Parts: sequence; C-alpha cells; structure tokens
Amino acid sequence: MTPAARARPELVTEAVPRRRQAWIERATSSDHKSVGMLYIGAALWFALAAVAALVVMRVQLIVPENTTTDPEIFDRTMSSFTVTGVVLFAIPLALGLFSYIAPLQVGARGVAFPRLNLLSFWLYVAGGFAIYGSFLWRPSEAGFATFPSLSEPLYSNTHGVDAWIVGTALAVLGFVCFAVNLVATLRTMRAPGMAWRRVPPFTWAANLGGYLLLVCGPVMLAALVMLFIDRHYGGVFFDPGYGGAPLLYEHLAWFFLTGAFAFVVIFAAGVISDVLPAFARKPLFSHGSTTACLLAIAILGPLAWMRNMYSAPIPTAFIVFAMLFAVALTIPIGLLIYNWIATLWGGTLRTRAAPLYAVAAISALTIGLVGDLAWSLIPVGWQIQDTAAAQGATIAVIVGASVLGGFSALHYWMPKITGRLVGDGLSKVALVAILVGLYVFALMSFFAGVKGQPVDVYKFYGEQGLDGYNLVASIAAFVMAGGIVVELGNLAYSYSRGVVTGHDPWGGSTLEWYASSPPPVHNFDVVPDVRSVEPLYDIRRAIRDRTQAWRPPAREPAPAPAEREPVGGETTGTR
Amino acid sequence: MATRKIVRRFVLPACLAAGALALLASPAAASVFGPRPAHSPNADDIRTAYWVAIIVGAVLIVAVHAFLIAALVRFRSRRGRSPQRFTAGARAFVRPAAPLVAIAVGLFVFAVVMTTRARDVEATGPEGLGADGDLVAQVNGLSIPSGSKVLNINVIGQRWLWRFEYPGGAPGNRVFSYGELTVPVDTTVLLHLASTDVTHRWFIPTLGGQVDALPGQDVSTWFRADEVGRYGGQSTAFSGTSYTTMRAWVHVVTPQQYESFIGAKREQLTKAQDYVAKKLEETTPSGAIP
Repeated sequence: MTPAARARPELVTEAVPRRRQAWIERATSSDHKSVGMLYIGAALWFALAAVAALVVMRVQLIVPENTTTDPEIFDRTMSSFTVTGVVLFAIPLALGLFSYIAPLQVGARGVAFPRLNLLSFWLYVAGGFAIYGSFLWRPSEAGFATFPSLSEPLYSNTHGVDAWIVGTALAVLGFVCFAVNLVATLRTMRAPGMAWRRVPPFTWAANLGGYLLLVCGPVMLAALVMLFIDRHYGGVFFDPGYGGAPLLYEHLAWFFLTGAFAFVVIFAAGVISDVLPAFARKPLFSHGSTTACLLAIAILGPLAWMRNMYSAPIPTAFIVFAMLFAVALTIPIGLLIYNWIATLWGGTLRTRAAPLYAVAAISALTIGLVGDLAWSLIPVGWQIQDTAAAQGATIAVIVGASVLGGFSALHYWMPKITGRLVGDGLSKVALVAILVGLYVFALMSFFAGVKGQPVDVYKFYGEQGLDGYNLVASIAAFVMAGGIVVELGNLAYSYSRGVVTGHDPWGGSTLEWYASSPPPVHNFDVVPDVRSVEPLYDIRRAIRDRTQAWRPPAREPAPAPAEREPVGGETTGTR
Repeated sequence: MATRKIVRRFVLPACLAAGALALLASPAAASVFGPRPAHSPNADDIRTAYWVAIIVGAVLIVAVHAFLIAALVRFRSRRGRSPQRFTAGARAFVRPAAPLVAIAVGLFVFAVVMTTRARDVEATGPEGLGADGDLVAQVNGLSIPSGSKVLNINVIGQRWLWRFEYPGGAPGNRVFSYGELTVPVDTTVLLHLASTDVTHRWFIPTLGGQVDALPGQDVSTWFRADEVGRYGGQSTAFSGTSYTTMRAWVHVVTPQQYESFIGAKREQLTKAQDYVAKKLEETTPSGAIP
C-alpha cells in the first residue's frame, strides 16, 4: 500500500551553521512553522489587549453618566479596540494557523516564498507597535476606522492618527505579502494526488482567505495612503471643500472591513469542518458542498460592503444590491451549519475541549449572523446600524469565529505544534464563562441598541431607560473577558508543561498528522500518495485490512477433518 | 416508541419555537426587546420590518440549536458504539437549501417593499399645518406626492449640536433654534441635512431611521409626527470628544402653537438684532466701517 515519494534533500550546505541563540533563531527563521508560531503568539497577546480595552469601555458604561473614564481616554480605547480585535488579533491568529497547518495539510515540504512569509510577520508586528507605541504620547481619537472628515488635520491634528494610519497600513501590507505566499504555496506545492477536490476544508479556507486578503487588503492600503496624503501632502481626496468626498473613504474602508469579516467567518468554518469529523470519527458530511459554501461566502461577503452604509446618500438601487448579497449569504451559511450538524449525526463525538469549542462557535456564529441578517434589511439597518445592536451582533460573530473557533483550532493543533496536549478541564470552565458572557452581552447590547443607544458613546443618560441593559451587558462582558483570560493562561501553561503526546493524538485523517510532533524542518520524510480526502484514514484502513487478512503460515499440511477427534463442544482457533 | 420519536422529533422543537415566539411577541416583551413605539409612518414601516426580521431570526436560531443539541446528546461517544461513516454529494443539499432560498428571497422582497414605503413621503394630514407648500416632485431620492404641502426645515450638524432653520423670511434672516426642533403635528416635515464640519447623523428613533449629515452634500429625509410630544435621539456617527452630547429633540406641537412659537422666535430675533445694531452704533465711531 501507500506508494511513497522519496525524500529529496532540500538543504545543501558545506558546513553546519553555528547555532545562534534561540530567540534569534525564532525571529529570523523563515520556516513556515516558526512564522506561524510567531503569528499565533503575537495575536494572542493582542487578544489580551483587546480584552483589556473592552473591560475599560464596559467599566465606563456600567452606570448612566459615569465619570470613571475621561471622554478622551474612552475615545482612545475605542479607536484602538476594533483595529486590535480585527487587524491585530482575529486575522493574524488565522494567518498563524494557516501558515503552520496549511502546508502540512497539503503535504508540502515548505512554502513558496519563505522570506516573504517572515517579512509579513514583521510588518504586522511593526504595525502593532506603531499603534500601541502612540499610547506613550497621544493615540488616535478619531474613531474605530478614522473616517474623514474627522481624521483630517483640521479636526484631528495629532500624531496618534498618523500612527494609527501607518500601523494599520503596515499590518495590512503584511497580510497582503502573506497572502501572496499562501496562495502561491497552495497552488504549486501540493503533494502528488492532492487535487483541489481532496484538499481539506481548513486549507480551502486558507486558500480562499488568501484570495480575500489579496483583493481587500490593497483597497484598505489605498484608502490609508490617500488619507495620509490628505493629512500631510496637501491632498484633497476626502475634503469636500475642494470636491473630495468623505464617503469615498467609507466605501474603501468598509470594503476591507466587510472582507475581513468574511475572512474571519471562513476561517472559523474551516476549523469547524476539520475538527468535527476528527472527533465524531466520521468523514465530513459533504466535502464538495463545504468548499462550495466557503467559496460563496468569500465572493458574496465583501460584495455586500454597502450594507454598513444604509444611512449614507447612496442611490437606493445600490444599497438594494448590497442587501441582495447580504441576504443571499443566508443560503451558504445555512447549508454549512446543516453540513456540520449532519457530520455530528450518527457519529460518536468525543467530548474533548476542541469539538466543544467548535460547537460553541457554531452556536455563537448562528446568533451573531442572524443579528447581521436582520441588520442587512435596509429598513432594519436604518434603525440599528451604528448602534449597540450592530456592535453586539458583530462582537458575537468575531468572538464566535476567532475566539471560540481559534481556541478550538489551538486545542486541536497544539499537540502538533508542541507535542503536548492542552489541558481540558480548565478550558471547559473557560468555555462556559465565554459562552454565557457572550450570549448575555450580545443580547443586552442588541436590545439597548434597538432602543437607540449609539455605538462608541462614552456615556449614556439616566432618562434614556438603558440602565438595566448596560449593567447586565457590562457584567456579562467581564465574565466573558475572565473566561478568555483563563483560557489564554491555560494555553500558555500547556505550551510548555502540557501532557506529552504522540504525533496523532486524535486519530486525524488529514496529512498533518502524518508528520511527527513537532514536525521536522522539512515536514515529511516521505509523503503518502493521496487518493482521497482522508489519506490517513486510507492508510489506517489498509493496515487494518492487512492485519485482519493475515494468518500464520501453516507449518505442516492441516490434518484431514475426518481424522480429527471430536472434542466435546470445544473448538480451537488458529488465531 | 413511534409516539416518543414523533414527540422528540417534531412536537418538542415546535413547542420550544412556539414558546420562544410567544415570549418575543407578547406586549410586555415588545417593550423590552423592541424599539421605542413609532410616531411617524416611516418609523412604522421600520418597526414592521424589525419584527419580521426578529421573528424569522428567532425561528432560525431555535431550529439550529434544537438540532445541534439533539446531535450533541444523541451522538456522543459511548462504549460499544461505532460511527456510521456516510457522506453525500450536492444532491443532498437540495432539500435544506429550499427553505433557505425561500427565506432569503422572501426577506429580500419584503425589505425592498418596506424600503420603498419608508422612503415615499406621505402627504400632510388633515390636522396638520397648511403652510409653505413648496411643490417639488423629488428631493434627493425622496418622492413627494404631487401638490402636497410640506414644511421644509434645514438641519445643520456642527460639533456638537444641531441647528434648525425654519421656513419663511429672507435667506440670511430665517428663524432658527439649536438642539430642539419644534414642528406642528400631522404635518409632513422635509429635513434638508447638511454639516459644517465632520459627518454627523440624524437619528430620532421614534420618527424614522438614521440619515447622514455630510459636509458638502445635501441629504434629505422626512417624518410626519402623529402625536403631540417631545421625542429624543442622538447622532450615531462618531464626531470627536463630545460626540455623546450631540443629542437632538423634536418637540411636536399643534399648528397654532407652532405659529405662535415662530412668531415669538421672530420677535426675539428682531429684538436681538436691534440690540446688536444699537450696540454697534454706540461702540463704533460714526463714519467708520464696523
């Protein structure tokens, strides 16, 4: 069985290079696995920052007309919160896992442009440093996406806004570099037999996510460069006094942000589609339909960007168009959920933390995306866009996809990355806290927003009748934040002190479990010939079939049955 | 056995769904989970769309969770149980896709209808003010019934308050107010939104949806308040430090009260202008250009 490709020597050297200090090795290694670990580690640090920002904002909004936090401090926190949550945490966490796992899943021995891969990480980290470095002086107070005219120098004449623009641009530039490498790797370096129809859903998600970043990233870069020219070199792109249009920036920024939203959902869908079959011990219900649904989300998602702009003076035909795409997303997302439930159906689910986080992610995504569906209808959008309701739905999706989906992925793949299991007990407690906190927070925010509470306000008034919602939402946000911090601690502990395990603790059926844990620099000594979507299952089945078919070779010709004495009811077997 | 299966498969989820719907649709819940009551026809349309979206959404959430929990409870790993390995092609997705397509198409068509209805300006009612009839067929995408009388108000957003300019008087000498807009009941009010600095957003939840007030661009919206009262709202477009304080009120009064309000305001303005002119005369030497 398993005809195997022979290992090719990938490294040719005349001398063994001197070993450098571990941190220099880590920072300069262009191995895709090392880069992936860097991405995951940095993203989890920024997750802590985002959680801290959420706590600061919810402390301020716990009672009406609270004076705990200055409006300036609140605006600074709010302006860095979204960019931290999405650009510095959600996307890089996905990229880290893509960088580590996707080449392994397609049986590649490396990536197409390893140095570009490493460069992308350092661009992203530089961006994060630029944004958080500005906290030493005066960070941006120009809102979550620095929309002009507010971000024009006349209204925001601080270097914090420049730091925000440069930092976000560096990170997005890093993502585009990353996507170039990812797409090239997946197109050209798949193992023999790894046709696209056999590529695991998580790597399909990586591929589509790469294309999404290639399409949406440059749009955001263009917007940020134009804004920077406006601020420093006398540009009038967004200055209505000279015929520019602030609305133009809104279109560009929302195109990127909506694309990022679709990216995060696709990442979570890829994780769930890989984790559930492994733990239910049966194949994904429909591999082809899963990839088709992911493709539909990748196409329809960013095209619906104007669904965030229903209040803007855009001709009705255009926003109806956006609504069409947004409502059409119901079909692929609904079919994906059907697919996952059908995968669990008839299986034997081992209730470890990874599949539980995956199921929790399905639940949170359902609730958040249903909120988004309601908001996508134009009249409802006029009522709830840019209110706490829209924020509640968005946070439900981002936390559902990146926190719950991301933790599920880390539980599933950490044994591959470190050779150690992540502890289950504490993470199940954390899961309950995150899930309950998220549900209550999202619902309370939703109802407060429907009552008219805008997003990004640093206080609300007693006579608005919003006290109850905000109090409960704040407490729920603290519970959720506590859960996330506990789980991050659990991951950090397990990273170095977890239970040591073998190279395939879950009985996975995709190629990454064929490598050792952690995999060597060249990933595989031999790559099995891929004949289906489950190459390792094929190997296991072949081994089982051979074992069962095996009989000990007969030493002498068996005696004829007639000569054998009947022994009272007893039989003797050969095995 | 068969009865238990039917109960478990259909009756239980149906009861759960019905219970959730009853919880949502009860009047007490509506005040907790729903928007504030509407006082304008366009806000009415928005409320209708909201409740339809929420009920469809609740059904979807309950259905997904019913199946998810059933799968979790029934198909956990136990001793002596082995998984049924089955997969399916695209054909297995026709059946689940049908209701999803129906929901998507239904919601889309419904939302297009409600959008048009909310955009269509309705004529001033019988109790309204018969004033100022500018006969315009269309303003910035709003279609106005022909021959109807509307009250044109200029709404100008600036950091961090709203300025309202009432019709009548010369362009530089119009009656204006800050923060609170006074309008007559049952009268179609056409708002012409603009901004002098950054992007603001007009949003009085009881009187319609959110509309941007942009620098350098004219945007219009409308409402027709059905009841005397005072309705509050605030901008939802972040505009800087004191953005939270950028609140607005619409004070709906009877047409007679409105007329007397405008009269009193005009008198106040004339008095103030006279006072300023007098002061200027006193402080500037005669012959000098002030």
